[in-house]
Amino acid sequence: MLAVTATTMLGAAALVPLVASNPRVGAEIPVMIGRLTFIADPFGMVFALFSTFVWFCATLYSLDYLSHHERHDLYHCTSLVVLGSMLGVVLAGDLVTLYLFFEALGLVAFLFVIHTRTAEASRASVTYLWMTVLGGFALIGGIFLTHALGGDVSLAPIPLHDSPELLRWTTFALFVLGFGVKAGMVPVHVWLPDAHPVAPASASALLSGVMIKAGAYGIFRTVSALFRPEVVTDVSEQLWRAAAGFGLAVLWLGIATMAIGVVLALGQHEAKRMLAYHSVSQMGFILVGIGAAGYIGPEGAMGTAGGLFHAVNHALFKSALFLGVGAVIYRTGQGDMYRLGGLWRRMPWTFAFMLVAAAGITGVPLFNGFVSKCLIHHALEQAYDVQRLASLDIAEKIYVATCGGTACSFIKLIGLVFLGKPEHEYGPEVTDPPPRMLAALALLAAAIVALGVRPGLLLNGVFEPGLRAWALPTQRIAYYLDVYFLSPADLMSVVVAFAIGATVYVVGMRFSLFHIHAPAWVGVGYWYHASARGFLACSAWVGDSYDAYLEAVSRFLRNTLIGARSMWRMIERDIDHLAVIVATGMPGIKGRHFVRTAHAALDKEREATVRYAVTKAHAWLQSREDFDARRSHDTLEAVRDIAAYMTRRQHGQRTRTLAEMVRSGEAEAARRAFEHVMHEIRAYRSGVAHTAIELAEQRMSGLDVIDQISEAAERLSREEGFDRRLRTPLEHERPTRVALHDSLGADAERVTDTVGRWRARWFGHAERAVRRSIEITRLVVESATEEHSRWAIPQQVDPRTVLKMRRRIQRYARDTSLGVAAIVLFFLVVVVSVLVGSVR
Amino acid sequence: MEDAFVHSALPLLAVLLPIVGAGIVPALGRGSERVRHVALLTICSATAVLALWFVPGALAGDVREAYLLRVTPQIWLHLRVDALGVLFGATVAVLWLIVLIYSIPFMTDSHRLRRFYSFLMLCLGCMMGVAYAGNLLTFLIFYELFSILTYPLIVHEETPAALAAGTKYIVYILIGGSLVLVGVVFTFFIAGEQTLAAGGVLSSDMDGGALRAIFWCFIAGFGVKAALVPLHGWVPDAHPAAPAPFSAILSGVMVAAGTFGIARVVFQVFGVEVLSQLGVMPYVAALAALTVLFAAVLAVNQDGIKRRLAYSTISQMGYVTLGISLLGPGAAVGALVHITNHAFMKGALFLCAGLLSKHAGIRNVSEISGAARRMPWTMAMFSIASLGMIGTPPLAGFIGKWYLGLGILDAGRPFYLIVLLGGSLIAAVYLLPIIYRAYFGQPPSASARCPDEREAPTSVLAPALITTLLTIVLGLAATVPGSPLSLAQQAVDSFFR
Repeated sequence: MLAVTATTMLGAAALVPLVASNPRVGAEIPVMIGRLTFIADPFGMVFALFSTFVWFCATLYSLDYLSHHERHDLYHCTSLVVLGSMLGVVLAGDLVTLYLFFEALGLVAFLFVIHTRTAEASRASVTYLWMTVLGGFALIGGIFLTHALGGDVSLAPIPLHDSPELLRWTTFALFVLGFGVKAGMVPVHVWLPDAHPVAPASASALLSGVMIKAGAYGIFRTVSALFRPEVVTDVSEQLWRAAAGFGLAVLWLGIATMAIGVVLALGQHEAKRMLAYHSVSQMGFILVGIGAAGYIGPEGAMGTAGGLFHAVNHALFKSALFLGVGAVIYRTGQGDMYRLGGLWRRMPWTFAFMLVAAAGITGVPLFNGFVSKCLIHHALEQAYDVQRLASLDIAEKIYVATCGGTACSFIKLIGLVFLGKPEHEYGPEVTDPPPRMLAALALLAAAIVALGVRPGLLLNGVFEPGLRAWALPTQRIAYYLDVYFLSPADLMSVVVAFAIGATVYVVGMRFSLFHIHAPAWVGVGYWYHASARGFLACSAWVGDSYDAYLEAVSRFLRNTLIGARSMWRMIERDIDHLAVIVATGMPGIKGRHFVRTAHAALDKEREATVRYAVTKAHAWLQSREDFDARRSHDTLEAVRDIAAYMTRRQHGQRTRTLAEMVRSGEAEAARRAFEHVMHEIRAYRSGVAHTAIELAEQRMSGLDVIDQISEAAERLSREEGFDRRLRTPLEHERPTRVALHDSLGADAERVTDTVGRWRARWFGHAERAVRRSIEITRLVVESATEEHSRWAIPQQVDPRTVLKMRRRIQRYARDTSLGVAAIVLFFLVVVVSVLVGSVR
Repeated sequence: MEDAFVHSALPLLAVLLPIVGAGIVPALGRGSERVRHVALLTICSATAVLALWFVPGALAGDVREAYLLRVTPQIWLHLRVDALGVLFGATVAVLWLIVLIYSIPFMTDSHRLRRFYSFLMLCLGCMMGVAYAGNLLTFLIFYELFSILTYPLIVHEETPAALAAGTKYIVYILIGGSLVLVGVVFTFFIAGEQTLAAGGVLSSDMDGGALRAIFWCFIAGFGVKAALVPLHGWVPDAHPAAPAPFSAILSGVMVAAGTFGIARVVFQVFGVEVLSQLGVMPYVAALAALTVLFAAVLAVNQDGIKRRLAYSTISQMGYVTLGISLLGPGAAVGALVHITNHAFMKGALFLCAGLLSKHAGIRNVSEISGAARRMPWTMAMFSIASLGMIGTPPLAGFIGKWYLGLGILDAGRPFYLIVLLGGSLIAAVYLLPIIYRAYFGQPPSASARCPDEREAPTSVLAPALITTLLTIVLGLAATVPGSPLSLAQQAVDSFFR
C-alpha cells in the first residue's frame, strides 16, 4: 500500500520537470468514444501533486489506525481505485475523460462512506449516493450542451459568440451544479456533513482533503478554461462581460457557501462533523477566488492563484485536522468536543501538529492559509474596484466575518479538546498515537509551514507558468509577493479576524449560543428529502392509477363478454324454442305458451342444477382439511364442467320427451302434470352434484372420466324417467287421444270467446292457413330428422366415439377454414400483384 | 458510391441452419441429452460465426444477396445482408448462443425440453430471416413467424400466469402483425415490391394521405413489438412468465426487433427525405419520449425483479425509437448501437435474475437484502450491467446515450435531452436500490432462508459473465472497426448519403 502510494507520489513529482519544460504534456488511450486524453498542465500537476502527497500521508496513518478494523483490505482497495480516479480527473485532457473519472471517483468513494456499516453510515451513504448520481447527470448534461454551444469536448474555451444566452447559462449552471455537488457547494452541500464524519478518520481526511477538490478543480476549469473568451484572438468587451457574469455567479455561490458553512460549523458538538462543515466553508473560499478571477477577467491572476493555492492549503490542513482528531478518537474513543479536554498533556505531539493545522486554517501569518486567504481577499477588493458594485463591498464584509467565524471555531476546537479541564480522568492508554500516525501528521504539518513561509514555491513555480501558457498577464502575483505579502495591512486583517473570532467564542460560550439549532425545514436537506419522497410517492401514484385504469378496462371487457354471452344464450333459447315449434307443429295459444314456459323452466332447472353442484362442491372443499385455494379452484372448475355436461344431456332428454308428447297430442296432459313433475325432479339435482364431485375428484387425479360421465348421465336420466312421470297422471284420467288439428281448433275457439268473434274468424282463417303450411313443414322436417336420428342414435353408438368424432370434425373444420383463408389471402395478393403489374 | 452486390448463399444458410436444427433436435434428444446439446451448440455457434462472418464485408460496404423464390414477376422472397442487418443479425446470433449455453445447465430439470429447444432454434432462424430480409414481403413472413413461434416459449412453464401472459402476448402481437400486414399490402399497392435499400421504396410525389396511413400502420404494428407506450401491455407480463433464459432473449432482441422494423421502415421504406417532408416524425418522437419516462416511472414501483427489468426494457427501447425518429445521423447511430448494447446488458441482467430466482429463491426486490454475500459473482455482474443501463462510462450503455445526446442537439431539440437524462436518472432510481440492498441490506433471518443458497455453478455463471464482459468491452472498444458502433455508422452513412 505504502509503496504504491509512494510510487504514485513520485510519479506525480516526476511531472514537475516535464511540465516545467512543456506546459502541456499529454497522452492518449484509444478506448471508448475515440480516445481518452490526458494532459498535464501546471494546474493539473499541482492537484496531482498534493493529492498523492496527502494520500501517502493518509495511507501511512491508516496502517495503524485501521489495524483493529474489519475490512481493511476493502478500504485499501477502495483507496487505490479512488486515487487513480482522482488523478484521472485532474489530469484529464478532455471533458469525456474527466466525466469518466469523476463518476468513478464519486461511485467508488461511496464505499468509503459506508465503510463502517452503521445505521448512521448507511443513511449518510444514501444521501451521498443520490447527490453524486444527480451531480453526475448534471455534469453530463452540461457536457452535452457544450456540443450545442459549438465546442468540442476538449478543455478549451467554448466559442460563445453566437449562442443564445439561455443555453449558455444553462450549460454553465449544469457544470457548476455537477461539480458543485462534489465540492460541497451550497445549496448542494447536504451530503457532505453527513458523509465525511462517518468514514474512518483516514478516509475522512481523503474525502475532505482531496476528493472534494475534484469538484473545485472542475469549477476552476469551467470558469477559467471553458467559459473564458479566447484571449489571444479576440478580447471583445461583450464576451468578457458574459464571462464576468459567470464569475460573479460563482463568487456569490462561494460567499454563500463559506458563510453558511461556518455558521453551521459553530453549532456542532462532534469534532469531525464540525470539520466537515468547515470543509464546506473553506470550499467557499476557493470558489470566491475562482469566481473573482472570472469576474475580473484578464487581470484576475490573484483570484486564480488564491483559489487554487487555497485548494492546496485546505488539502493539507484539513487532512491534518481530520487525522489529528482521528488520533484523539483512536486513543479516547470520544469524538464529542464538549466531553474532551486537557489532552495537551497526554498527547503533546498531536496537540502541536493540530495547532499548526489550526493556524493554517485560521490564516495565522507564516502558515499557509494566511497567504491564500490574503490573496483571495485582495482579489475580492480588486473585483470591487472593477465596477464598484455595492454588493461586492458586502461580500468583502462577509468574507472578513467568515474568517472570524473560522478563527472562533478553531479556538473552540483547540480550547475544548486540548486545553480546558477534562470531564473525567483518562486511562493510561491515552497517549500520543503510534509513530506511523504521528509521522503522517508531521509530514502534513511540515508542508503547511513550508508553504506558509515560502509561498513563492507555488505562486512563481506553478501558477505563473500556468497562466502564462493561457497568455494571461501574471504581474499581479509578483506584485502580491513584493508588496502585500506580510504587509501591515494584511497582518491587521488577521488580527481583526481573530478579534471577531475571540469575541464570538466568548459570547457564544457564555450564553451557550452554540447549542441553538434551527428547525429542520430551514435546511435544504429537508427539502431534498421531501422532494425525493415526493417523487417516489408520485411514481407510486402513477403506477397505482395505471393499474386501476388497466383493471377498469379489463372489467369493462369482461362485462361486455358476459353480456354478449347471455345475449347469445337468449337467442339460442329462442332458436331452440322455434325449432321445437317447427318440429311439433304449431300448437294452440295455450300449447304454445306451455311449450315456451316449459322450456324456460327446464332451462332454469338446468342452470340451477349446475349451481347446486358447484355450491355443494364448494362447501365440501371448504370442509376438507387439506384446503388449498388454487387446487380447489381447479376442482370447482372441473365440477362445473362435468355438471354442465350432464345437465345438458338431461335437458336434451327432457325437451325431447316434451316435444314428443306435444307432438303426439298429449300436450294437455303434459301441461297438467308439468308443475308437479318439475317439483319432483328437483330431487335429482343432488344426484348430479354427487356424481360431478366424485368424477371431478377423479379427473383432478389425472384419470380420463369421459366414459363415466356419459354413463352417469344415462343412469340418471333412466332413474329420473321424465317421460314416465309426465305420463303418470294419465293413468287415471286418460283422455281420448285427439288429433292434433282438433286440439288446436279447440284452442282457437277458446280464443274467440275472449277476443271477439269477428276477429277470431280472421284469425282462425289465418291460423288455419299457417297451420296447414306448418303441418307440411313439420312432416318434411320430421321425416328428415327421423332419417337423421336413425343414422346416429346416441344410445347405439359408443359415446366416446361420438365425442372423438365431434372433436375430429371441429378440428377438420378449423383446418379447412384456415386453409381456405390462407388460399384467399394468397389469391388476394396474387390478384393485387397482377393488377399492379398490369397497371404498370 | 455504389454498393457492391455479391450473390451468396451464406445468408440463406444462416437462416436455414437453425430451422433445420429445430427439425433434427427433437429426434436426437430421444437418445441422449448429450448428443442433443452438442448438436444445439454446434448449430448455434455455426450461426453466430456466419453472422459475424458478414461483419468485415458489411464494413467494406459489400451487400450480399440471395434470391429465394420468385412467385410472380412482382412477388419474390429475397435476403439481403446490409450493415444494418449485419448489426442486428450478429447481435441476435451471439446473444442466442450465450443464452443457449446458459439454458443447457439452467433448464435441466424443466419439462418438455425438446419442445423448448426446437422452438428456440426455429425462432433463431426466423430472427435471422428478419435481420437479413431483403424486401418487405420476406420481412413480413419471418416477422410473423417468429412472433407466433415465440408463444410456446413464453408459456413454457404452463402455469396459469404463464398461459394468461401468453394469451395476452398472442393477442397483442397478432393485432400488431395484422397492422404490419396492412402496411405491407398498402405499400405494395402503391409502389410495387422493391428491394429494401437506402433511399426508400416510397417517394414524396405519392399521395400524402396514403403515405401517412402506411406510416402509421407500420408504426402501430411494430410499436406493439417495440413496446411503445400505449401498446406495451404484453411486455411486463410476458417477461416474468417466460423462463429466465428466454426472457433475456425476449428483452434483448425480440422487443428490439420491433425497433429494428421501425428503423427499416423509416430509413429504407420511406427514406429520410420523404419522412421529413411528411412531418410525422415529431409525433413518433413525442410518443417515444413518453415511453421512456412513463415506463421508467412505472418500473420504480415494481417489486418483481423481472417485472422491473421488463419495464426498463420498455423505457430503453423508447430511447432507440427516439433516436430513429429524430432523423439525424448522430441520433440514428446512437439508437442502432443502443439496440446491440442494450441486448447484452439486459441479457446479463436477466440471466442474473434467473440465477437469483433459481439458486436463492429471490424473485422480488424486497427479498434481495444481503444477496451479495451469498452470491457475490451474480450480484457483481448484476451491478455492472445495472451501471451500464444507467449509462455510466465506460460501460456499453454510455456509448449509445452519448451519440443519442449529441444527435438530439444536432437535431436542434434540446428538450429531448431532458428525456434522455431523466430516463437515465430514473433508471438509477429503479436499479441502484436493488444493488444497495443486495450489498448493504440486512440479510433475512436464518429461519427464512432457503436451504441451498450458494453461489450458482460455474456452468451458468460463465455465460452471464460473457454478457457482462461484453457490456464492458463494447463500451471500452466502441470505436474499434467491427464494433457495433462502426457498423451502425456504416449503416447510417448509407441512409443519409
